Amino acid sequence: MALTSPAGRRGGKLSRRLSAALWFLLPFVLLAAVWVVIVEVTEVEMRIFPQITDVAGAFGELWSSGELFTHVGASLRRVVLGVIAAILTGIPFGILLGSSRWVAAFFAPLLRFSVALAGIAWIPLATLWLGYGERAVIFIVWNAMFFALAYNTMLGVQRIPTQLLRAARSMGTPRARMFTEVLLPGALPNIVTGLRVGLGYGWRGLVAAEIIAASAGVGYSIFLAQKFFRTDVIIAFMIVIGVLWLITDRAVLAPLERRTVERWGMKAVTA
Amino acid sequence: MSTLEIKNLHKEYVDAYTGETVTAVGDVSFSVDRGEFVSILGPSGCGKTTVLNVVAGFDKLTSGSVEVGGKPVTAPSPERGVVFQSFALFPWKTVLGNVAFGLRMRGVPRREREPVARQYLELVGLEGFERKFPHELSGGMQQRLGVARVLANEPEVMLMDEPFASVDAQTRRKLQEDLTDIFQAKRPTVFFVTHDVDEAVFLSDRVVVLSSRPSTVAEIVTVPLERPRNWRSVLENPDFRHTVTHLTDLLAGGRAHGEEQAERLSGRVDSSSEPPVRADAGGES
Repeated sequence: MALTSPAGRRGGKLSRRLSAALWFLLPFVLLAAVWVVIVEVTEVEMRIFPQITDVAGAFGELWSSGELFTHVGASLRRVVLGVIAAILTGIPFGILLGSSRWVAAFFAPLLRFSVALAGIAWIPLATLWLGYGERAVIFIVWNAMFFALAYNTMLGVQRIPTQLLRAARSMGTPRARMFTEVLLPGALPNIVTGLRVGLGYGWRGLVAAEIIAASAGVGYSIFLAQKFFRTDVIIAFMIVIGVLWLITDRAVLAPLERRTVERWGMKAVTA
Repeated sequence: MSTLEIKNLHKEYVDAYTGETVTAVGDVSFSVDRGEFVSILGPSGCGKTTVLNVVAGFDKLTSGSVEVGGKPVTAPSPERGVVFQSFALFPWKTVLGNVAFGLRMRGVPRREREPVARQYLELVGLEGFERKFPHELSGGMQQRLGVARVLANEPEVMLMDEPFASVDAQTRRKLQEDLTDIFQAKRPTVFFVTHDVDEAVFLSDRVVVLSSRPSTVAEIVTVPLERPRNWRSVLENPDFRHTVTHLTDLLAGGRAHGEEQAERLSGRVDSSSEPPVRADAGGES
């Protein structure tokens, strides 16, 4: 009721933001309510599924012991390094693919093939090559993201209208500067899509790789808790992962999109 | 003296699907003098845009020669700026950024390029919109920006490829008047592609009429209208109507179907004493 009240609609930016936030939280609140009721009614054991209060307790424990920050910190560090590596390699490679029809024709099938295999399927090889540890996990994050980012960047470059490239050339743009002046900004709507999709793959790859190849991190923690039937800890970390993803999306990708492609009126139609 | 010199331009390409060799431009020769406004007019598919693309340096010619300022055309250059039908503005650049683009590419420092860019924005009536992005402008304003963006480079010749074909009729009239005003003020050399007879006559000093494929120059018509021009007075001018009729006839003559129709019509008018249709002849008298 309060959400659609005239005051809310007429109100300033703050109240509009507040109502947007409430709408965003509503499904989670409902989910939590269903959770509480089902666990209460079925009296399921905690080794199968925890009550919400158990999870909150586990979370409090992890917080006060500092374990939460150790593991989240370790995971974030790997994600950041893997994502930076993917951006530095995937975007230039995608632009290269997009700017030559022949190179694209050669690599596009391989790329599409690799998107399906990206990340998790590479864990055995990554650990063989790089050993169990930091480097293998970062490799997996990079690998999971790279193909999706390169592929979307390629699509973005291919979708730049020919006339735009011609306009730039006929205004004296040197070939080397076409990259930064036209191809990169022109492909940005699809690059943002590639970042979104790729980051999702990256996080999943991270969790899987940490289960196998790490001694710290959110994926490792989930796996360890499973050995002790600590479903409360498992769920607590799952929620942490989801929240971290939401924060990356809201705090990094959404503002980037608002300041660029939305401002320029060239938002990509998301598939 | 002529800025643009086209001699025996011939262009063939291989159709990607059928593998056949298609002649896009048969044999086209004409020139555009410094400060002259020349339109190329022809039926759709006659290769007039191909001629422009060759002049711009986007397409290679098969044989013949195209020279601008005495130098053969080999690649795109700011000496031959293009105004596109689709505007082709950079969506990620502001209005000012779009106008200053060519100057920036040639290494003109910011302090020098901004006043030049502003001067051209004022010329096309876009002062006050410097910080807007192209998508925030109307179609007419976007194309004015397209013109300003090219003129800011002070090209040898401005190439315009059906620049007003994608705006509504009323805006088109306004843009055409604005373009003659700009032409009056700056006297750029303009090579203008269109299929609109009225537009060609209103804007041009001379109109090059192409025949349909394989295209050749059917006639080069000089427009006998004084400058400055505006639609109100031009529409009342008998010279305008006469030139338009002449060009329309030329275009109709270029098409096989149109030719037949024209012959049939003229046959009826000229020889009204003997009815051309046999059924009539048998029925009457």
